[in-house]
Amino acid sequence: MDQVTNALRGDGIALSFGGIKVLKGLDVEFRAGEITGLIGPNGAGKTSLFNCLTGAYRPQHGSITYAGTSLDGLPPAARAGKGIVRSFQHVALCPDLSVRENVMIGVARNYSAGWASAFLPLSAGRKERQDMAAAADRVLADLGLADSADLLPSELPPGTQRLVEIARAIVGKPSVLLLDEPAAGLNNSETRDLMKVLRKLASTDLVLVVVEHDMDLVMSICDRIYVLNFGEFVAVGTPEEVRGNEDVVRIYLGSDDDE
Amino acid sequence: MTQRLQDIAASSIASWIPVAILAALPFIVGGSWTFTLGLCFANSIGVLAVSFLVRYGGEVSIGHTFFTALGAYAVGVLDTRFGVSLWASVPLALLLGVSLGIAFAWPSRNLHGIYLAVTTLALALAVPEMINNLDWITGGYEGLYVSTPLVPGVEMGLQRYYLGLAMLVAVAAAVARFRLSRQGMTLLLAKTHPAAADAFGTRRVWARIAVMGISGGIGALCGATLAFSGSTVSPGGFTFWQAIFLLVGSVVSFYGLSLVRVLIGGAFVTLVPQLLSASGAWIPVFYGLSLLGMILLGHYLPRIQKTLARRKGGA
Amino acid sequence: MTFWDTLLYDLFPLIWSGMITGCLYALGALGLVMIFKCSKVVNFSHGNVAGLTAFLVYGLSSGVLLSLSWGAAVIVALLCAVAIAFLIYAIISPLVFESDLTSTIATLGFGLIAQGVTLLLFGADIVALDLPIPRFAFSVFGLLVTGYDLTVLAVAVVTIGALFIVIDYTKLGIAFRAISENPFAAEVCGLNLRSVHLFAWVTAAILGVIGALLIVPTTFLSVTTVATFMLQAFAAAVIGGFASLPGSLVGGILIGVLMNLFTFYVSPEFSSTFLLGIILLALNIFPNGVLQRVGGSRV
Repeated sequence: MDQVTNALRGDGIALSFGGIKVLKGLDVEFRAGEITGLIGPNGAGKTSLFNCLTGAYRPQHGSITYAGTSLDGLPPAARAGKGIVRSFQHVALCPDLSVRENVMIGVARNYSAGWASAFLPLSAGRKERQDMAAAADRVLADLGLADSADLLPSELPPGTQRLVEIARAIVGKPSVLLLDEPAAGLNNSETRDLMKVLRKLASTDLVLVVVEHDMDLVMSICDRIYVLNFGEFVAVGTPEEVRGNEDVVRIYLGSDDDE
Repeated sequence: MTQRLQDIAASSIASWIPVAILAALPFIVGGSWTFTLGLCFANSIGVLAVSFLVRYGGEVSIGHTFFTALGAYAVGVLDTRFGVSLWASVPLALLLGVSLGIAFAWPSRNLHGIYLAVTTLALALAVPEMINNLDWITGGYEGLYVSTPLVPGVEMGLQRYYLGLAMLVAVAAAVARFRLSRQGMTLLLAKTHPAAADAFGTRRVWARIAVMGISGGIGALCGATLAFSGSTVSPGGFTFWQAIFLLVGSVVSFYGLSLVRVLIGGAFVTLVPQLLSASGAWIPVFYGLSLLGMILLGHYLPRIQKTLARRKGGA
Repeated sequence: MTFWDTLLYDLFPLIWSGMITGCLYALGALGLVMIFKCSKVVNFSHGNVAGLTAFLVYGLSSGVLLSLSWGAAVIVALLCAVAIAFLIYAIISPLVFESDLTSTIATLGFGLIAQGVTLLLFGADIVALDLPIPRFAFSVFGLLVTGYDLTVLAVAVVTIGALFIVIDYTKLGIAFRAISENPFAAEVCGLNLRSVHLFAWVTAAILGVIGALLIVPTTFLSVTTVATFMLQAFAAAVIGGFASLPGSLVGGILIGVLMNLFTFYVSPEFSSTFLLGIILLALNIFPNGVLQRVGGSRV
């Protein structure tokens, strides 16, 4: 029951840029407690769908609801306040902050020490920083990144930077987590670590959506998979169902050079 | 910029040494130098205001004289018309600077890069004529003379010097602290990846307004210090060129926010006109050349270092 | 005085003279916009370099430096302007490809140097620069039209017309348009960015000299005259959208007329404040004309 009531739903989402239809009336239901995969060739509209869900784009038609309440018209920051969090296709860590501090930003919205403690040595600010750092360190340890906490993002290999992004996304205990190509640039052992983390994350109250090109990862961790092509779903179902779907096979065999 | 936490801690200890030296200086050097150094501290705060905008907002201002004038006249007017001392006028200057920084940030919230720079330029141009035309309160061309002591009984020259030093140290320490705060970290993320900051609850407009408010506030503190340490407040201190010089000071200190860096920028802004005062025409030339020199140095230095490192590795 | 009399004796002449100065603001703005369009650099040295060349015309024709004929002085000054443009671009070109903001700050440095050089060569005094402009005046429907007005109009029309023909029909002009639309694609197609940038800088310098020389008869020539004039040109470029050549023409005339009306009807003392107001208002009412980034969000 919980799975459906706490779902992130999109009904008839249509988005176009200057006459080009990027999304053609999509109905989606991302359920809590499941890992949902969103796959499709490059340019199919996966990131655009993410942007509609997080509020970065405003779809021309359709509505988006989370746990029964409408998100339409809410800007990204307000959706973040409702626990809807995403990672980015291109690493978006702040180069001036240490790894720990980058992760700390993921919990920043839960804290509210005032401006005075931002500039003056007051106990409220110090305590806030300690709490945030502790939360960040816990997640970093979970992901095996404890040693990198004091480094700068640029000192890490690209794969590890991606894990830091995921750490930032999960540290605030989101209710919806949208991961845009989390495994891009990761080597095999890093991908395995990532899969472990994602499985662990798939608790009953988290909606977890993964856009990914790595088919092995998608097939092995996802409960349900949506296949997107030219702004439309060509298939929806369990990994087995999708694997057996002829349209999906055709799309993927036909688009080898995209990969 | 890319300092780690330990480095920040270390640099805060390291910056106590120059503070100690500066605190001892009035007992070593003459009175005119004490006065110049007081101005130098005030200008350092102005350089810090410009650099803060660059570091935390990614934006360049060529109009910060608007804020310095605001702070200076807040102190000057309260002192000369109402006899109010710095204890009350400095907080007022800060409040005015922050409010007008926000007031300016709102209509310009969607402007970035050169568009914002051009708008701040218009701001700088409006300052001198505002001062001259509000002469019933600003004193017009004549200016105002700030003479109410902060601590009665202490020699005024020393007060002017130590207030400048104290303000600079306080502002630099507050800004260093801000780097570690939640707000500071989110502003830094909003500068490099606004979409990512948005996704974690920091709206771009909020980030812009916060940065402009803080930078405006620091600018006003610079003005307040200038008024007290420099003793006079007149339109000549807030010309369009002065606004550019503050930017030059920020560039020559490589937009640094640490005490030593902003002191270099402030010293540049203060000392160059004094040293070249006999040949005024050389001042803009010198400033222009330094600006270009520092920018080109910033551009070529990493390359030169790389080439040198490669040569060393080869040999 | 009736309403119509006021209109006839105040408003129409104000609009007319505003349009004339507006044409000159447009010349300045066109130069700024040309450089900005292809290289995304705002040339803050524009006013001071144009001021320096105006002083060169004075110096070369008045005997301070040389005693050339008026025409020869203008040609030498134009050559100097072109040489300065070459020099500035040569120095900042490595920066242009790295950061438009850094290169914009660098142009401030050149502006400071140009101002300093003007002071060193000619001092801070006001000088009178006489141009051989036909001195006659006649009145049309009560509107006083002078030889200066017609000269400015004629020069502006010819210059701007020539500029648009060059941009529309010559190879360099077409390359300029291509690079302004999409520098990356244009470079892939084999167009040379540097030569187009140089074309823009040189054209801007020439436009700047013409604008500076024509504004001088309305006032005296001092080290700040032309720089101040170029600030109006800045406002004109901003209003026109900064990336649009026809826009800067419209913006120039608009600024000329509005400033005239404001100084006459409201207050001559707050003109810079008024300019700031116009810029902020324009940027907020027509953000899309000015700001390309506002439309689509970058993710």
